[in-house]
Amino acid sequence: MIEFDSIEKRMVMKIVYYGPALSGKTTNLLRLHDLLSSKGRGDLMVLDTKDDRTIYFDLLPFFLIAPDGLKIKVKVYTVPGQVCHDATRKAVLSRVDGVAFIADSQTAESANNSESFENLERNLAFVGLNMVKLPLVIQFNKRDLPNIIADDEIERTWRQTGIPVFNASALEGWGILETFRCLIELVYEAADRRFGLENEHGLPKERFVREIVNPVQEVAGERSAAQEPF
Amino acid sequence: MRHKNPSEHKIDFVVGTELSIGDLLMREETMPVLLAIVRGGAFGAGIVDSTGTVLCAAGDAASLGPPACAAGQGMLVHTRPILHEGEPVGMLVVTAPQSYDPAFLAAVTDIAYAALALIVRNTAKRMLTTELHTTVVQQSYAELIERNQQLQASEARYRDLAAQLEKKVEERTGQLDRAHARLFQQEKMASIGQLAAGVAHEINNPLGFISSNLNTLEGYSGRLLEMIGLCREMIDRHDIDRKKIEEQSRRLKIDFIVDDVPALFVQSKDGIARVKKIVADLKGFSHIDESRESFVSLNDELEKTISVLSHESGDRILYIKDYGVLPQLLCKPALLSQVFFNIILNAIQATDGKIELQLSTRAEQDEIVVVIQDNGPGIPASVINRVFEPFFTTKEVGKATGLGLSVAYDIVKQHRGDIMIESMMGKGSIVTVRLPVRRGKDV
Repeated sequence: MIEFDSIEKRMVMKIVYYGPALSGKTTNLLRLHDLLSSKGRGDLMVLDTKDDRTIYFDLLPFFLIAPDGLKIKVKVYTVPGQVCHDATRKAVLSRVDGVAFIADSQTAESANNSESFENLERNLAFVGLNMVKLPLVIQFNKRDLPNIIADDEIERTWRQTGIPVFNASALEGWGILETFRCLIELVYEAADRRFGLENEHGLPKERFVREIVNPVQEVAGERSAAQEPF
Repeated sequence: MRHKNPSEHKIDFVVGTELSIGDLLMREETMPVLLAIVRGGAFGAGIVDSTGTVLCAAGDAASLGPPACAAGQGMLVHTRPILHEGEPVGMLVVTAPQSYDPAFLAAVTDIAYAALALIVRNTAKRMLTTELHTTVVQQSYAELIERNQQLQASEARYRDLAAQLEKKVEERTGQLDRAHARLFQQEKMASIGQLAAGVAHEINNPLGFISSNLNTLEGYSGRLLEMIGLCREMIDRHDIDRKKIEEQSRRLKIDFIVDDVPALFVQSKDGIARVKKIVADLKGFSHIDESRESFVSLNDELEKTISVLSHESGDRILYIKDYGVLPQLLCKPALLSQVFFNIILNAIQATDGKIELQLSTRAEQDEIVVVIQDNGPGIPASVINRVFEPFFTTKEVGKATGLGLSVAYDIVKQHRGDIMIESMMGKGSIVTVRLPVRRGKDV
């Protein structure tokens, strides 16, 4: 549920990276942080972890201003994947505007993937959202590992659902931007339908996506020279 | 929590409230940094929000106004944007006299900026953590309350059910008890009915000859009165005619009467005694005061039962008795008589022709054991486990209630005793009744 304050001219969109434990949600955000320009992107905020496992959430914020002055913040969260943190997942999931489901490609994790996906569906219902109407993309992460579920099996089981599916290796850094860009496009489309981003605020999709998904220019120095904002 | 009643409205548990610069840079955390800058020789240092309002300042706050003005007034001005989640939310402004070393001022400003950045970042983290924690706790609490209410509702429902169930069971038990009592009574009536048939015959027989004797005696007394009348007349006339007396005496068979009368009386009295005994047996068996407990000898009770049954079955039965010395037993005698009656009757009815019944009693430690053994046809193994079931009968419908042994079982159990049946086809059956003797009551 996009927060829109027409008086303050502010809009907040919420994106959540969901998925089973250890599927690479935080690594996805770390990669986004590394791969995207610091311009208009906040710092990755990693809330306290326990043994390097997320117990609260991580937050990667983006900020842009539409031509008409509308300030748009896109907050990308992760949820803790471990089963025991279900209450936290529900809290983070409330009012979400788009979900990236990060599945673990390893064959041994298939059951955990389905369980987490069912958990997502259940928790979306809990916070009053319908998964079918929600912008949703799926990423099969860890494609760099051996013993992973085959491409054609992903094709068979997931592609038919109509949900965009991406292969990725967050560790190697590929497939991450594609996943994110697709979700950002879907979220934009949903917001545009409701709030007329292009017609009323002069913000066409291409510009929105370009400003959010703005890869680091491979110009020497950009990544190191920029003063990290906070 | 905005709503106390969860059913009224789902509570929103949202994480990620927008934080303002005022939330992020608390005065008490920011001021030491700003004051340090001023102590280092700056005019002023302050935080200005995105609308240009000075939120907190050290030193010359007026110098912090629009940076351009300050610069216009010949001051050195350094600013740094304060970002939160990528959004510029305010500015650090430091003003210093023209004489100040610009490089040094830049360094001081950078140090302060780094410190403020750390404060902003850590405050945001802490607030997000607190917010999430609070949200999760509230949500869990709301869920617990809801679960608790569901459980309470469900518990109440089950308690209701249980209460109803208990009532139902009580009702049914009452119905069963009444039906049982009725059947028990019916069974008793049935056995009494069977008895009555035999007893009626037994009573009829003596009544027959008593009645016949009375007729005879009536005739005899008529003749004796006639004789007495004749004698009295002669005495009145002072004319005693011996010949005539003898003649009349012969005609009226007075000698025969004199001989016969005592025999008739003996016989009649005997008949009356027999009737009396039957009635006494019946009375003893039926025990009008049956519900009362009393001390009795089971040997006597067995004898009474046999005596009652002998009226029905006559000499078809050969009793072989082996009675031990028994302590008096506190029991309901009427009920125990019924037990023996039912067992023996069962044996008699199962057997055609002559039957041999061995009755033995013995005292064993704390109990009295009564064994009734017959040489009847025996009970098939397939049904022996069912003989104590109510309504179980191998006899034709209508001929038996199927309650005889079941009633016996109930009565023995009522006396905290035990009843067992063993049987061998073609050889007969053995019924063993064990009744506990209550301590301290032995006589």
